[in-house]
Amino acid sequence: MRFLLITHIQNARQSLKASRMRSTLTMIGVTIGVASITTILALSGGASKVVGDQINSLGGNIAVVRPGNVSDPLSGIAQVQAERSFSTSTLTETDVSSIRSIAHVKAVAPIMIMSGVIKGDTTAPSTSQVVATTPELSSISNLQIDTGGFLDPDASNQQTVVIGQQLSLNIFGSESSLGKTVTIRGLPFTVNGVLKYIGQPINYNGVDFDNAAIINLSYGKILNQGAAQIQQIDLQADSVANLSRSIINVNQALLTNHQDEADFSVLSGSQIAEPTSQLFDAIAGVSAAVAAISLLVGGVGIMNIMLVTVAERTREIGIRKALGASNGDITWQFLIESLAISLGGGAVGYLIGYAIAFLAGTTVLTFYPILNWQVAAVAFGVSVGIGVVFGIYPAIRASKKDPIDSLRQYN
Amino acid sequence: MTKINTASPVIELKDLKKRFGIGDAEHFALDGVDLTIQKGEFIAIMGPSGCGKTTLLNILGLLDRSTEGEYLLDSKDVSTISMGKQARIRSRQIGFIFQSFNLISRLSVIDNVALPLAYKGVSKTKRLILASNILETFHLNEREYYMPHQLSGGQMQRVAIARALVNEPSIILADEPTGNLDSKSSHIIMEELSDLHKRGNTIIMVTHNPRLTTYASRVITMLDGKIDTDTLEVLEELDPFAKKPLGKTTNAKKSTKTPRKKSASKATKPRKKKK
Repeated sequence: MRFLLITHIQNARQSLKASRMRSTLTMIGVTIGVASITTILALSGGASKVVGDQINSLGGNIAVVRPGNVSDPLSGIAQVQAERSFSTSTLTETDVSSIRSIAHVKAVAPIMIMSGVIKGDTTAPSTSQVVATTPELSSISNLQIDTGGFLDPDASNQQTVVIGQQLSLNIFGSESSLGKTVTIRGLPFTVNGVLKYIGQPINYNGVDFDNAAIINLSYGKILNQGAAQIQQIDLQADSVANLSRSIINVNQALLTNHQDEADFSVLSGSQIAEPTSQLFDAIAGVSAAVAAISLLVGGVGIMNIMLVTVAERTREIGIRKALGASNGDITWQFLIESLAISLGGGAVGYLIGYAIAFLAGTTVLTFYPILNWQVAAVAFGVSVGIGVVFGIYPAIRASKKDPIDSLRQYN
Repeated sequence: MTKINTASPVIELKDLKKRFGIGDAEHFALDGVDLTIQKGEFIAIMGPSGCGKTTLLNILGLLDRSTEGEYLLDSKDVSTISMGKQARIRSRQIGFIFQSFNLISRLSVIDNVALPLAYKGVSKTKRLILASNILETFHLNEREYYMPHQLSGGQMQRVAIARALVNEPSIILADEPTGNLDSKSSHIIMEELSDLHKRGNTIIMVTHNPRLTTYASRVITMLDGKIDTDTLEVLEELDPFAKKPLGKTTNAKKSTKTPRKKSASKATKPRKKKK
């Protein structure tokens, strides 16, 4: 049987070589499907890894509170930021102060992301974000100041703003914009500091700080007609050992605030590391649809071509049976051939998928796709699955052929 | 006669029937065939077209099943043998030679010959060695990597015979092996078969050509799905090798011995020319 398997593989290679054009065309469907899957997985893995690395580099004592119950990882992926900005958050300022009063919580920073026109010498691109928060954010998220200072804790009522380096370049044409005036939603703010370049548009805060204007929460409320819209609360425990106890306490405090309704989630460690980029979600959604359709079409293509192959080789099947091939031998021969098509397509797709992922990573996105065995295993598994599911029927049909009728068929 | 009957027969058919079609179209291709074949016989089956020769051969070769009757192969009823075991028997015990050669056109000569070994579970290197060896005995070792369409009819049939023999089967079934060949090639092929017969193989050959029966040790003629005549019943000889076939016995005997080497050399000569 072992030798026979090798023979079948050699045989499949030979017959695919003989009809190279046909085999290649059949492979394309699987190639596109597997390439899409590989791209999605590699990029989502890369995005998660970026966020995970950020959290690890921050010391592992960070937890975040997000509205809605995202304990289920699948719904966590579904809960994209785009939805969040349109729905009312369940987190309030009361929650922030409750968390602040819990023991072992070193720092708390609410994140209130707003849209709005940011104007300096010129108007900022619409992708720029306005973030209203507290001065503690700089220590929690390790935001480094290039010039000036972060929001002044002693002067939270000052109309000051801290802007990212890219934003500074966009609206003032220079990195040194200290003391200049930025108009946000018509309200003037004085630039108190410029952040160092970070280059992490994907992070657990969902804010590209290079392109953001950070203001005090109190002014965020003013810009938002007096209401605080807190999308996320970051908190930092005083040590890694105390983080889990703090999380329990935060949960209890918030449950009390929310009348025992668990409409929030306290996340730590890898739970935070969800892909949070809208662009990424768009790519993933489109790619998943393309992958599913092209895999289905590719599979049907394989089945089609295998049925043709079986019909073409009816006589050969008869000869092989006369020479001692059992039904199982014939089934394996054709199944391995369809597997060779799907695996060949899958292998090419895997490579193309990574090529696309790296291309996207270096141009559009700012992170690299992840390289791990899981992506390879999924690509392999999908290819084998397609090959078997769509190859088994033609193979069984081949093996069921009557040797006499097969031999009689004109070649 | 007694000598033959004491050994257990290789093949025993009892009232074998094969029906095709149903109702009005019902037709018995085999209509009660009783036949006992001993080890080492060279049987030529003759008869007009449609008399059931090929059907009989297919049933003997386990490619087809009879509708009624018993077929004992090595004293075992084949209807009780599973499909997988039947494939094993085809692989190890039976060698098929067809009129149209039935070489797989996309495989080279040596791959064609090595194919039955694959189903027997022989490793690739060993397969190629065995195939090469047997091709040498058929003076085809220079053509090992030719494709079938690059060979002449006689060469193709010799490749087919080599393929049928590579597993060293005890029974060789030949369905008009010379039907597509000219008389010279036919002669070479028949020499090969009669050589195999001398080495103790059982050969059952279907043919239209009465001349070829001179090579056989026993000639059966069929008519309308039944056995019409059988030389075994006519001849009283004990030793199957000394048995006189129908026709010009003495001439045939001579021709099997003397021109053997000649024909072999003839076969090799035109090959060199082609090169």
